[in-house]
Amino acid sequence: MKRRQDTLTAWLFLAPAIIIFLVLIVYPIGMSGYASFTKWKFTSGLKGMKWYGFKNYVNIFKDLNFKAAIRNTFLYVVVTVPISIILSLIFAFLLNNKVYMAKTLRLFYFIPYIANAVAIATLFSTWFRNDGMVNNILSFFSKDPVGLKWMSDKALCKIPVMFMLVWTSLGYLIIIYMGALQNVSTDLYEAAEIDGASKTQQFLHITFPMVSQTTFYLLIIRMIAVFKVFVSVNVMSMKSPAKWNTSIMVEVYSAAFSSMQFGKACAEAWILVLIVLFFTAVQFVGQKKWVHY
Amino acid sequence: MASKVRKYDRSSRLVSTVIVTLIGLVFVLPLLWMLSASLQINGDIFKYPFTWIPKAPRWVNYADIWNSGEVPLVQMYRNSLFIVIFTNLGVLFVSLLAAYAFARLEFKGKGIVFGLFIGVMMIPSQVTVVPRFLLFRELNIYNTLWAVILPGLFSVTSIFLMRQFFMTIPVSLSESAFLDGAGHFRILMQIMLPLLKPTVASLVIMNFVSCWNDYFNPLVFLPSKKWYTVSLGIQYYYTQEVPSTNLTMAMSVCAILPVLILFFSCQRFFIESITSSGVKG
Repeated sequence: MKRRQDTLTAWLFLAPAIIIFLVLIVYPIGMSGYASFTKWKFTSGLKGMKWYGFKNYVNIFKDLNFKAAIRNTFLYVVVTVPISIILSLIFAFLLNNKVYMAKTLRLFYFIPYIANAVAIATLFSTWFRNDGMVNNILSFFSKDPVGLKWMSDKALCKIPVMFMLVWTSLGYLIIIYMGALQNVSTDLYEAAEIDGASKTQQFLHITFPMVSQTTFYLLIIRMIAVFKVFVSVNVMSMKSPAKWNTSIMVEVYSAAFSSMQFGKACAEAWILVLIVLFFTAVQFVGQKKWVHY
Repeated sequence: MASKVRKYDRSSRLVSTVIVTLIGLVFVLPLLWMLSASLQINGDIFKYPFTWIPKAPRWVNYADIWNSGEVPLVQMYRNSLFIVIFTNLGVLFVSLLAAYAFARLEFKGKGIVFGLFIGVMMIPSQVTVVPRFLLFRELNIYNTLWAVILPGLFSVTSIFLMRQFFMTIPVSLSESAFLDGAGHFRILMQIMLPLLKPTVASLVIMNFVSCWNDYFNPLVFLPSKKWYTVSLGIQYYYTQEVPSTNLTMAMSVCAILPVLILFFSCQRFFIESITSSGVKG
């Protein structure tokens, strides 16, 4: 009797979650999977969906913008994820007991992480203008005034995006690393000290292996986040007609809501999902080589 | 010998402190610039060298955006707060019930439902945006704040963290209440919820920050200026044809400030919520 009541109560308790889950997550996922195989202009409504086979998937790989978006997104991941991880580990290492006022100091690194990303992106767009702070600071170090076109140059315009990705990520990574470092037994360092290991050796042979689980976790988190990069690119490219720094999510957004090609947008979004899942799986396989449990 | 080592330690610690402080200053420097630029006239911002402390701070910039004609900041604050408050209340309610069911009730299919919840989380929500857009148009909630609130009500992270917490509470505690004739709902609300306060506080902070800073969902679902959230407001100022950098920066300061105030007033919960989950993807 009690058991049957339990079952009823359980489903009642789960009902709100399940309803939202089905309507706003499961249904849209299925729908977008189906839509990615159709040719579908929004203006023609639901009836305008026409079966298109794999053509969306074939076509987007002929689309120059989307190809550039994939290249850029991979560039962002490959460059910013290692830099973020390495810098944050070093800062966390320094902040952990090695400095005065560590708790206050870590706030400095933390603020960019919780600050509104649109605000940060507009700020850096302003800093990276031809007459902005970055060129001013660089001019300070060189004889001639520096006038690099950070925002409009085909190659340079990716740097502000990457700069922002690193700058905003460190706070979180440092906090997590600081927690992990506190769990490393001090005995290990004392033993190494007696054996005459230098600080660098200690860092490489004790600290790094001991936090490898955390590194693995953070690597995955950051990789997924950067694959989905949207805000920084979208805001920073708003004012330039040529979007050299475009990313996959920016292309999804513009396919869906600028040119209203929903089928194409869904196909692009699924490519992103497949990329994310594939590289997460690769990381899980690769971890056996370097993560210590 | 010992004192020599300690002395060496102290000086190396001092050097580290200086290095870390300097780098930390570099980190907040752009934000200080933002604050300074928000208090100047537009023409002065790009003069070289930059005036870090304006001689006559123009607080009127803030008054300008507060009740500017088309998109007054006060209205954007109201919209953002509305979203934050209702998302938070909703997600807490939904997660609380679901987490209790997962942790305390026995029923068939529990494992499957929980597995589905966790499994689907692997798929980034970005793929759902186009169907959600159409669905909300059908339901007539496109271009209302509910279009941003509703998807936020289901959070696997919240359910998961609450479930973890419920599992640490001894069953005997609710058992006696059960024998006294209290139903599950009353046990949940009167016995469990008060114990759950720290977890709830962490989750509220986490949700507050992610809702407040959200840009993608408002961008897609809230095209009307009257529904602009703070994030969209910054973009509005930034994309004006004649851009006023000072007002954009004032707007940015106003977007960051509430989160900072929250951060400094409850740092302990903040760090806890960060370490247990993570504010954004």
